[in-house]
Amino acid sequence: MAVDLIQIQNLKTYFFQGKGVLSKWFGQGLKVVHAVDDVSLTIKKGSTFGLVGESGCGKSTLGLSVFRLVEPTEGKILFHGNDVVKMNSAELRTFRQNAQLIFQDQFGCLNPRMTVGQIIAEPLMLRDGKQARQEDIADEVAELLSAVNLDPDAAVKFPNEFSGGQARRIGVSRAIALKPEFIMADEPTSGLDISTAATVLNLMQDLQDQMDITYLWVSHNLNQVKYMADDMAVMYLGKVVEMGQTKEVFHQRAHPYTRALISAVPQVDTDQQKETIFLEGEIPSPINPPSGCYFRTRCPHVFERCKQEEPPLTDLGGDHFCACHLHSHH
Amino acid sequence: MSEPLLEVSNLTLDYNLGGRKMRALDRINFTLEKGEVLGVAGESGCGKSTLGLAILRLLPRVAEIRRGAVFFKGTDLLKLSEEQMELEIRGQEITMIFQNPQNALNPVFKIETQMTDILRVQDRNQNPGSRKRHQHYRKQAIERLKLTGIADPEARVSNYPFEFSGGMKQRVMIGMALSSGTSLLLADEATTALDVTIEAQINKLIIDLAAEYGISVLYVTHNLGVLAEMADKIMIMYAGRIFEMGEKEMLFGSPRHPYSAALLESLPSRQKKGRRLLSIPGFVPPLDRLPKGCSFHPRCVFAEDICRKQVPPLTEVASGHWSACLLDQKRGRQKWQWT
Ligand SMILES: Nc1ncnc2c1ncn2[C@@H]1O[C@H](COP(=O)(O)OP(=O)(O)OP(=O)(O)O)[C@@H](O)[C@H]1O
Ligand SMILES: Nc1ncnc2c1ncn2[C@@H]1O[C@H](COP(=O)(O)OP(=O)(O)OP(=O)(O)O)[C@@H](O)[C@H]1O
Ligand code: SF4
Ligand code: SF4
Ligand SMILES: [Mg+2]
Ligand SMILES: [Mg+2]
Repeated sequence: MAVDLIQIQNLKTYFFQGKGVLSKWFGQGLKVVHAVDDVSLTIKKGSTFGLVGESGCGKSTLGLSVFRLVEPTEGKILFHGNDVVKMNSAELRTFRQNAQLIFQDQFGCLNPRMTVGQIIAEPLMLRDGKQARQEDIADEVAELLSAVNLDPDAAVKFPNEFSGGQARRIGVSRAIALKPEFIMADEPTSGLDISTAATVLNLMQDLQDQMDITYLWVSHNLNQVKYMADDMAVMYLGKVVEMGQTKEVFHQRAHPYTRALISAVPQVDTDQQKETIFLEGEIPSPINPPSGCYFRTRCPHVFERCKQEEPPLTDLGGDHFCACHLHSHH
Repeated sequence: MSEPLLEVSNLTLDYNLGGRKMRALDRINFTLEKGEVLGVAGESGCGKSTLGLAILRLLPRVAEIRRGAVFFKGTDLLKLSEEQMELEIRGQEITMIFQNPQNALNPVFKIETQMTDILRVQDRNQNPGSRKRHQHYRKQAIERLKLTGIADPEARVSNYPFEFSGGMKQRVMIGMALSSGTSLLLADEATTALDVTIEAQINKLIIDLAAEYGISVLYVTHNLGVLAEMADKIMIMYAGRIFEMGEKEMLFGSPRHPYSAALLESLPSRQKKGRRLLSIPGFVPPLDRLPKGCSFHPRCVFAEDICRKQVPPLTEVASGHWSACLLDQKRGRQKWQWT
């Protein structure tokens, strides 16, 4: 049985808007963005958990909440059973060595004034503190660079001397510097060419095989999640609407949103005749979500009950969950 | 056979940067028929956007067209005056929709104003001296918005661009293209920034309009999956050149060029979970330092001596199917198996 590395329980992360001048002048009330709205999920050690959904559904916020880079409003985040939300700053520091982030915009988070060597050495220096020895760290940096297939000479260069794919690999080498157990990868291949993306995906799989790293894999590329993830969750407006083994979710597509999402993914293989489900309209605002089922304004199967009642996340068997009234009547 | 809508012939273009000469388009040849959707793909920097900009002559100063012609309805656009391009072609006969519709719509004017302006110009071009009222054009604008699937167009037409989501703005851009009676739509990564479900809506809109109004489309994207669903013909570019071109079914089903075969093998959708993806070794070369011979040879596992010496010409290898690889004859119908 695989060990549960991360358990997220009833996590809510809200953003509060309108405390500023405008709301004072116009007397508008506080607006609450329900970015992550009561999410529970479990990530097994050594596995990859894929998180998909359209822009603004709360994927990044969920990931950042796990690291407490944004403060969760409510709920628990258990890492090896210890609640990250309750950690003090010393505990948090240890946790953040064990858990790393690869950001959506890689260039944006590589300091342009530091050499690549300095960028990768930074977490190592922090770890070793006063005991840090230049030679040891330089060796480790060279090792890390070769682990991501970059020339050790890269250490003396600056980020702007690298291509997008190389920059992404620098980000990966920094993330693995402290041999973390857990990495959240937020759109790790966005903006990369097909072939460069393939390099990054291969690399991250190799690292997982060698170091038993656990990934939370955030992407709106469903082909990629299908290829990478063991388990997955589909989010819509801050909520998980379907969750389970990736194979099962793709096979059953129990939730109408999952069905539409998967059907909308363009596929190269033209031999399999596929029918795209076109959703009407746009994603509602997370400030004023619809009553009942959040998806009802675009759902092709909407019926009366969907307006009144919010569908609970129901176990369909085999650890496969879905939140839709089509599956919740008893 | 009737004349194609667009015929690009031997188009060659350099960017001159200081002393460096980057050949961003090298002997580009293709035709586009009425109502046809041509998909253009290739790695970043291969010249896809430059091609669209060259057709509309919206190039930066450092760009220089060295030779070639762009025949549109029989007229070489490269020979028109700047004024003719502006009055008759851009935004009228040929419309471009960009990745970021924000920049194409003027934020300080209502959608209504921007659309009626175009409709008025269009009308006066066709009927000199026409003096119709604003209401007439406004009605037309609402009609166009309705065609592109904007809900409640009567109210929406008086919105400002910021009140529209990304997908809606892209619809407005397409609506504007329709307003002007466009016959060629250039879409450059037009849906890349949108979500899959919205992307699917917009792409369907584009194909439907192409079919219904006989609009031809040059559709540029990184996403081969999108092309598989959108395009009739596909063009694969590499470092300023066309490497392969042909009917979609042929090109995706049995690619004739090693580079196209490699791109298809790099896709996660084609691979089982856990199996390694193909990653083409090396990088796209800088355009001012292209390798001699076939510019792909340092990355190509099939390369032989001849590839380092000769530039492969784009050759018709089967009816309507073009490929630029020196070993095509030798290889015959055998597949390029990278892994
Ligand atoms: N710091 C913030 N303040 C206020 N609202 C925020 C903040 N960060 C995110 N949001 C809002 O929370 C919601 C979820 O955003 P989030 O970035 O998590 O989405 P996402 O799923 O990662 O989207 P994308 O696919 O575009 O990256 C959005 O409505 C967003 O506007
Ligand atoms: N204004 C410019 N000045 C100099 N070089 C340019 C300019 N615009 C483009 N180039 C160069 O011309 C080549 C082709 O660029 P282009 O933008 O057409 O590529 P692309 O295929 O559209 O790439 P992408 O997929 O990244 O959009 C690139 O090598 C680029 O560096
Ligand atoms: S609960 Fe109703 S509206 Fe929501 S997904 Fe199910 S059928 Fe659609
Ligand atoms: S010409 Fe040679 S190097 Fe170029 S693609 Fe063909 S086999 Fe490869
Ligand atoms: Mg995000
Ligand atoms: Mg481009």
